Amino acid sequence: MQYTTDIRVIRIMCTGRMDPVVMADAFVHGLDGLLVLGCLFGECHYVSGNFNARHKINMTQEMLAYAGMNPNRLSFRNLSSAESGVFVKHITDFSTEIRELGPLGGAADRVPLPKLKENLEIARTALAGPKLRWVVGKKPVFMDSGNKYQEIFTEHEINRTLSGIIIDEMATHSILAALQKKRRAVKDLAKELEIPGPDTLKYVLALKRRGFVELDGVDGTSPVYKYKTEEGMC
Amino acid sequence: MVEKVTGSKGDFTVIVRKKARYVNEDLCTGCGACAEKCPTTVPDDYEMGLGNRKAIYRHYAQGIPSVFCIDPDYCRTFQGKKCGVCQKICQAKAIDYKQEDKVLELKVGAIILATGYDLFDATRISEYGYGRLANVVNSMEFERLSSASGPTEGHVKRPSDLRDHNLIKTKEKSLKKSTRTLAKYEKKHKMSTADFYKQFTAGNISDGDEFEKWVKQYENVREATRKLEELKARAEKFDIATRLAFIQCVGSRDFRFNKYCSSYCCMHSIKEAMMAKDHDARTEAYIFNMDLRTVGKGFEEYKVRGAEKLGLHYVRGRVAEITQDENENPIIWYEETTSQEVKSLTVDLAVLAVACEAPRGIEKVAELVGVALDHNRFFKTAPLNPLDTTVPGIFVCGCAQGPVDIPESVAQASSAASRAAEVIWQSTIEYGESHWKKKNPE
Amino acid sequence: MEKEEPRIGVFVCKCGNNIAGLLDVEALEEYSRTLPDVVFTQWNLYICSDAGLEEIKKGIKEQNLNRVVVASCTPRTHEPLFRSVCAEAGLNGYLFEMVNIRDQCSWVHAGYKEDAMVKARDLIRMGVAKAALLEPQEIITSNVAVRALVVGGGIAGLTAAISLADRGFPVILLEKEKELGGMLRSLYRLAPMDMDASEVIDKKIKEVQDNPNIDIYTGATIDKVKGFIGKFDVTFSANGTSKDVRLGVVIIATGAGNLVPEGMYQYDGHKVITQWELEEKLKAGKIDGNNVVMIQCVGARSAERKYCSRICCAIAIKNAILIKELNSEAKVCILYRDIMAYGVQNEDQLRKAKELGIRFVKYDPERPPVVNEDKVTVFHHLMGKEIDLPQDMVVLSTPLVASEEAEKVASLFRVSLDENKFFLEAHVKLRPIDCATDGIFICGSAHYPKDVRESILQALGAASRASIPLSQGEVKIEPIVTSLVNKDACRGCGLCVALCPYNALEIRDTDEGRKVNVITVACKGCGVCAATCYRHALSINSFTDDQMEAQIHSFLAA
Repeated sequence: MQYTTDIRVIRIMCTGRMDPVVMADAFVHGLDGLLVLGCLFGECHYVSGNFNARHKINMTQEMLAYAGMNPNRLSFRNLSSAESGVFVKHITDFSTEIRELGPLGGAADRVPLPKLKENLEIARTALAGPKLRWVVGKKPVFMDSGNKYQEIFTEHEINRTLSGIIIDEMATHSILAALQKKRRAVKDLAKELEIPGPDTLKYVLALKRRGFVELDGVDGTSPVYKYKTEEGMC
Repeated sequence: MVEKVTGSKGDFTVIVRKKARYVNEDLCTGCGACAEKCPTTVPDDYEMGLGNRKAIYRHYAQGIPSVFCIDPDYCRTFQGKKCGVCQKICQAKAIDYKQEDKVLELKVGAIILATGYDLFDATRISEYGYGRLANVVNSMEFERLSSASGPTEGHVKRPSDLRDHNLIKTKEKSLKKSTRTLAKYEKKHKMSTADFYKQFTAGNISDGDEFEKWVKQYENVREATRKLEELKARAEKFDIATRLAFIQCVGSRDFRFNKYCSSYCCMHSIKEAMMAKDHDARTEAYIFNMDLRTVGKGFEEYKVRGAEKLGLHYVRGRVAEITQDENENPIIWYEETTSQEVKSLTVDLAVLAVACEAPRGIEKVAELVGVALDHNRFFKTAPLNPLDTTVPGIFVCGCAQGPVDIPESVAQASSAASRAAEVIWQSTIEYGESHWKKKNPE
Repeated sequence: MEKEEPRIGVFVCKCGNNIAGLLDVEALEEYSRTLPDVVFTQWNLYICSDAGLEEIKKGIKEQNLNRVVVASCTPRTHEPLFRSVCAEAGLNGYLFEMVNIRDQCSWVHAGYKEDAMVKARDLIRMGVAKAALLEPQEIITSNVAVRALVVGGGIAGLTAAISLADRGFPVILLEKEKELGGMLRSLYRLAPMDMDASEVIDKKIKEVQDNPNIDIYTGATIDKVKGFIGKFDVTFSANGTSKDVRLGVVIIATGAGNLVPEGMYQYDGHKVITQWELEEKLKAGKIDGNNVVMIQCVGARSAERKYCSRICCAIAIKNAILIKELNSEAKVCILYRDIMAYGVQNEDQLRKAKELGIRFVKYDPERPPVVNEDKVTVFHHLMGKEIDLPQDMVVLSTPLVASEEAEKVASLFRVSLDENKFFLEAHVKLRPIDCATDGIFICGSAHYPKDVRESILQALGAASRASIPLSQGEVKIEPIVTSLVNKDACRGCGLCVALCPYNALEIRDTDEGRKVNVITVACKGCGVCAATCYRHALSINSFTDDQMEAQIHSFLAA
């Protein structure tokens, strides 16, 4: 058995261990591709770890794609431990795919470096936050036994919710990051972050309500906001 | 190898011969450098003879302990030839050609017989052509052909193609050798073989022993080349076996051989068909059966899924005969029970779901430990004490007591362990009590 | 505890030629010396040899190493050895990290020496980065209460109880009915041993009653279960009194129920009956009329209930034979889909039935038989037409269905059921008797329909599995488990509890509020909880986020 020298293996007990933050962090630091390899579905050595992993990896992929990275840089594939041939195939395929994509922040990614890195940092912060983690964590529970009103959700419904949260979280954390650098008016924030004006206002007001930003005077007719604290955010 | 058993429940003495493996278990690191360099290639039993191993080998990769052993029947050193390659290559200095069998005397309280089973020898049903038709295999051979770690890396190849492939390789090798001989003549006589042959057949070159040999050699090469091209052309036509027929109850539920049902083969064939389909979506699999006995947990659901999701064909009917066409493709002749017509189906590969039989040599084991066999040659048990043999303190589990599938074997193994533990526990107490009584008379 | 500065020793193995054949091991050793926190390096021909292991010990003692990295082969085979060697030299075994430069490098990159060297350097650097963050861990041990609980007093439960008791373990046996015996009480004769079912079960009951190690409680219900392997605290009531007991292990043998085929095939319980009702008639020795038609797979192998109930064909065959033996004039016909006479004994019985003249007619589920007043009409697939079978009695073979109690028992013990509400085993092939939760075992028809012989077999197996922690007296586990690393952050939300497949987490009320508690004995270290916790309060020993990130960072820092 021979295969590409492109890969470096990091051992984890179960793919269920893969934390979205760790995955995002790898790309923040410039990794070109991350392949998570685990048991076949239904044959998880840890009963259901790979199902949990799938939910988290799918969400992380969506988040990172939203941040401007090519989502194919993160992949989850499955095999049994007796299938050396399949292992070789997976890593050969993945290495080829990543070589085709080229280095992170190149033509294959929607957003180029260094902006991509900034976005990925924001994505990492959002993935560390409570909202996405809570919903993705609850996903199997909602699909299996339902919420506390015994309403059972389809995977499609939960994914739609998650997609909405990804957009909100990315915007919120972008605004926070921008305000942390310098005070801004809503319309400047909207222009800079390419978020529609009314949405930006909504996010800023929500942040204000939660005490993360505060009013810092008025420039002409526009109120200006500044960063206050991120305590309690996660 | 067990050589002798004496004593009784709670106090058996077992003499075991531990065969020499000619590799020091404590030193061998299982690295495999020896097998890589060993010059002797041997058909691999684990691969059902479909692949090869070396004369120094492990039975299979996951075996425990992960230590190599030498097969003295093939090893050049043991056959009196010059070799010693493994000894030279082994940096751990683990090779020990002088190692000898060890005889161990074991004191045990209980014995568990887990001697497994053997496959029914399908050559006994001559109409199915096993052993005669290249592309009729048994279920275990198919298992290796479809295994990702098997000799074909999971691509289901027809054995006739494997054979042709090997043939091509040997023929190419010998052709190369013959061509070299021709080159020698050419060099010596400073003439191309083609020119020489033209001259010779025209009678321009007078005869002589060497020229005769040259002509003969040339004609042989020409013939061999033609044959090789033919073989290659034929080999090119075939790739993966995608039309598969699974024949159930081969040697089971058959009054001529074993009357019983082998329990696991229906599920085994369905699984093999599913795996093949999974590996290559073009696969069409036909399972010829009398009843599809899917009686375990999740089995019926699996069978239904095989038909509904993967399009497996379950054909009810007993196969009468298997013949082959000019491409060595098996032709399955069967009576379709619904239309009561004799039909035939040509496939790439026929897989015989052969019966689970008591292992060869079970009579010897039975004699050694003194237990009885039942009329099917399995170890005899009673329905309400299903793991107890006819001798107290000796238990049985797995296919040694009759055909069972994996989960049942595993469960039975635990059960046998429980029965053995009860015996040991009781004899320990009895020993303790008698000991105590001896020490404290009264 | 104050953290000491890491002093890392790196040992690089040549593994004979296995590694050194491709990689320049001496250059790798030299490279290792340049890595942060590394204070000692060494190469060896075989680190796993006695001499090599001595060198590790010497390094730890003489160089004061507090972390050891071995770059060699796979942790699968050698990690335990190296850990124990570290421990022998006084270094906690979990301050050891293994780097695989053989299986993952030299073996698989033949001919690419340069690239393989780059990779080997990366792997060692990553290992060193992780090693610097390793924390000492201790093997976790927990005592086991030497007493077993058997839930269910049918043939499986009784057999398991006797087997454990015969090994000297005290057993508490709970049965919800007033009497022991379970399903066998309502059966007539058993095949192929040809014995009275009551005789078989009465003998077992007597054995249980006479066994001083078994405490029997009939009419019992379980009220509450807490705890984990070795320490299950169970509250149950029987005969109006409640009792608390501590148990080391639990065997679930709650059996199965019968499907009553209301509304199918004119079922009325008199002329159209089930096999179970037939057993009663056989017991009474009174079968009316000469023509009996049996229909298989009634309510089974259908869209509504997909599974095959395994034993109904054998039961039908057995009862058909019994009818013939009672009345040789009787005409018995079994309408079937596949005759599931698997194995040796069942096939023998099938043959015997055919010899006795019992007729077997295959029917197509698309065209099921129709039961009329005095006949059953069925489409005969060989004749290609409908045939009429006169009937004085129709017997429906219905499947065993999961016990009504199954869901309650499963939720009490927090174990899983399969889609048909039978108890789910930990691994379908390799752990057929264990539940995924340690210390809980299943046997008999609670797991899946089984005949008497199979129930006995599985019960003995469950007893065997259960006896392991009982005889060891304690459970010992690797400390690669979850730990609550940030207690303040935990809000006791219970998300981790819901996702843990092993019931290894629980929420407890503490002085600081609701907090998660890790039952380390039950934890397997998969890490789902840690990857999920939105407060980042949980982590997995030796596989922390920091350690993983350090590995990635150091790889990228090349």
